[in-house]
Amino acid sequence: MRPLTEPETKVVFDKLANYMTDLKSLIAPFDDGDRYVFRLNHSRVYYVRLSIANMATSISRDALLSLGTCLGKLTKTGKFRLHITALPILAEHARYKIWVKENGAQPFLYGSNVAKAHVGRWSDDCPEHSGCVVLSMADIPLGFGVTARSTAEARRLDPTGIVCFRQSDCGEYLRDEDTLFAG
Amino acid sequence: MGTTRTIKNKHAANGSGIKGSKASKNGPQSDGVIKAKKNQPKGPQPGRGIKGRPNIADILKKRKKRVYTEKELGIPELNKITPVGVTKPKGKKKGKVFVDDRESMTTILALVQAEKEGQIESKMIKARQMEEIREARRAEAEAKEDERKAKLEETKDSIRKKRKRKGGKNEDDDVNGFKASLAAEGTKAAKPKKKRVSFAPE
Repeated sequence: MRPLTEPETKVVFDKLANYMTDLKSLIAPFDDGDRYVFRLNHSRVYYVRLSIANMATSISRDALLSLGTCLGKLTKTGKFRLHITALPILAEHARYKIWVKENGAQPFLYGSNVAKAHVGRWSDDCPEHSGCVVLSMADIPLGFGVTARSTAEARRLDPTGIVCFRQSDCGEYLRDEDTLFAG
Repeated sequence: MGTTRTIKNKHAANGSGIKGSKASKNGPQSDGVIKAKKNQPKGPQPGRGIKGRPNIADILKKRKKRVYTEKELGIPELNKITPVGVTKPKGKKKGKVFVDDRESMTTILALVQAEKEGQIESKMIKARQMEEIREARRAEAEAKEDERKAKLEETKDSIRKKRKRKGGKNEDDDVNGFKASLAAEGTKAAKPKKKRVSFAPE
């Protein structure tokens, strides 16, 4: 387990900034002097309290399965892939949101893109190809994706047209159970 | 053996420690090196002149001994011991530089966020412009469509009028139309009259 290097930090922040507005709150210190830090173990990036990260140093790298919140993984080409486990952090400060209706939640959770017919409402002034968090009508985050059309364009789209390309959904907790934290 | 010696000489940029030790052990060997020979004619004359102090002369020799860089030696690039691509910059810290303090992290964060905001802003502006263009195009297309429809209606009307002129007796039209209808009636009325007239005398 080690802290991130500068290029790694940049790549991680860059990806997070696609989905989030307020990044500064991520590393804001608490009253007790503690703060959240990013740690890398087995190419997975973890978002964890500094005190916990310090305690985890007593565990060997191989034995350490996970700590804090797993944000995603750094690929061998140096890119960063967000995992579904990062959803609570993304949803808290989401830049753009799409709410799907009851009939659209199930297809989305099974891994399909969001069709216009399934959208209950969406954030205004959303450009195309920007990260967005997908929520149910009860404001429960279901996953995240990338908008296929801008809001204005999506209004003119036919009901079967895709509005949001899925990146990750809560169904992955079951589907990718084996590979989510290791391998 | 000879080659290993040269390797050592190349590796150690200053190399005086290793060389010195060898030189101290094997005096004639150090003189055998070409570089040393060049310096010899200038150096040894005063050194040999003062025979009473050989130690000082040796120290002077060591000080004056010129260390050649690899460039000066003119060795072909590919003939070096360390390959061209592998050479590491001197004085640079080995290993990764971690970013763990809050300040540097905040700096990176601010940079990334500003960059992303700019990108999104430009994307929005572009999208708005495209939307405007699309709107203008749609308005133009609509106007053209209206114009075409109006033209079609006009032709339809004119055709209808023509029909009415031909067939309709009971017309409640405008003045011109009425006159035209009257004229039409007149011509139509004249024909049967003519016939009647033609029959009447008989």
